[in-house]
Amino acid sequence: MRTEDDTSSDRTGWDRLIVAIATRQDREAFKRLFEYFGPRVKTYMRRSGATEASAEELAQDAMLTVWRKAALFDPASAGASAWIFTIARNLRIDAVRRERRDGSALAAPAEAEFQIDESPQPDSSLAATQSDKLVRAAIAELSADQMRVIELSFFEEKAHAEIAKILDIPLGTVKSRLRLAMNRLRNLLGEPS
Amino acid sequence: MTIRHHPDDSMLIAFAAGTLDLGQHAAIATHLAACPRCRRLASAMEHVGGAVLENLPPAPMAGNALERVMARLPEIDRAAEREPSPEMAAAEIPGLPKFIRKYPIGEWQWVAPRVHLRRITLPEPSRTRVFLLRSGPGTKMLQHSHTGIEMTCVLSGAFKHEGGHFGPGDFDLGDATVDHQPMVDDGEDCVCLVAMQGDLRLNGILGRVMQPFVRL
Ligand SMILES: [Zn+2]
Repeated sequence: MRTEDDTSSDRTGWDRLIVAIATRQDREAFKRLFEYFGPRVKTYMRRSGATEASAEELAQDAMLTVWRKAALFDPASAGASAWIFTIARNLRIDAVRRERRDGSALAAPAEAEFQIDESPQPDSSLAATQSDKLVRAAIAELSADQMRVIELSFFEEKAHAEIAKILDIPLGTVKSRLRLAMNRLRNLLGEPS
Repeated sequence: MTIRHHPDDSMLIAFAAGTLDLGQHAAIATHLAACPRCRRLASAMEHVGGAVLENLPPAPMAGNALERVMARLPEIDRAAEREPSPEMAAAEIPGLPKFIRKYPIGEWQWVAPRVHLRRITLPEPSRTRVFLLRSGPGTKMLQHSHTGIEMTCVLSGAFKHEGGHFGPGDFDLGDATVDHQPMVDDGEDCVCLVAMQGDLRLNGILGRVMQPFVRL
């Protein structure tokens, strides 16, 4: 069982690994990131509906993208795992679309669809709009129950009714936990709810 | 710009999770472009996504996975060579996110007196149709109900209905249980981006007369 301290040192460690890739093409750093995140990205792909073979390929592609885009990573705002999550998410969307098109080329990668804020900043992805530290602290304040409800919302259009079934709690509880969790986050991020 | 009406939390989570279909994604993105509050929350959800990813149990990867990826590291990123696609000038319809301005968009078409629409052609199949709707000042927008979910984001002008007053950036959600007759404010046209699932049901005598002609 990891303690909270271990996790947070991992976290800044991961950030540094990505910076090492960006600044000196550090293959050893890449290897360590790959070993931790590759298998987890694969699980993410599997749970999002990808076959074993395509989850493997997508996990490899995601890690390759981490290498290629390392220079765009801003540790002050994104945080390694949030950044890798967005890479994996965008690749998953592209893969689903390519499958629907029988393999023909995409009109545009999904990545652009998440670049909303046009105010000038180095990387205008959503993840870059606030400090990773602040958000991580806010997330850590959520109860395990609240976190679980949010987590389940991350996999393919899980309707609230389905989440209620999985967690074996009434639908109303799913909705109220989600609302509480989001209000909590909003407050912690300095927004009146 | 004071935004009073926001998409609900589950939509912001679904947006960040990347599980919305493209048409609904476009409607939420249009709101996010105007609303720093929801943008912050959607961004926080990407961090939650990071935390979710971090804590997933690992799935064993192919024995040679690392070697295969290492061998590909020097490959050039082809995306960087992609030709930039033409896009609509930001000033033509203020408030549309950049990626939507790259989609093919039709001319304004007449729908009803003082109501016009422009279709937006999504590059991927979607269960949601997306269009811009422009209604003249003081117009009673078509009274209608829906068979599916309808998302509306105001780009300019304003309207009101029983649910409140909606100005630039505001987000409105209609579903089968809602039967609204929005009324456009005096003074200027109201332009909205609408993402609509299912069929639009026009109500009232005008609707019944028009229904055969309006294929949204
Ligand atoms: Zn908002």
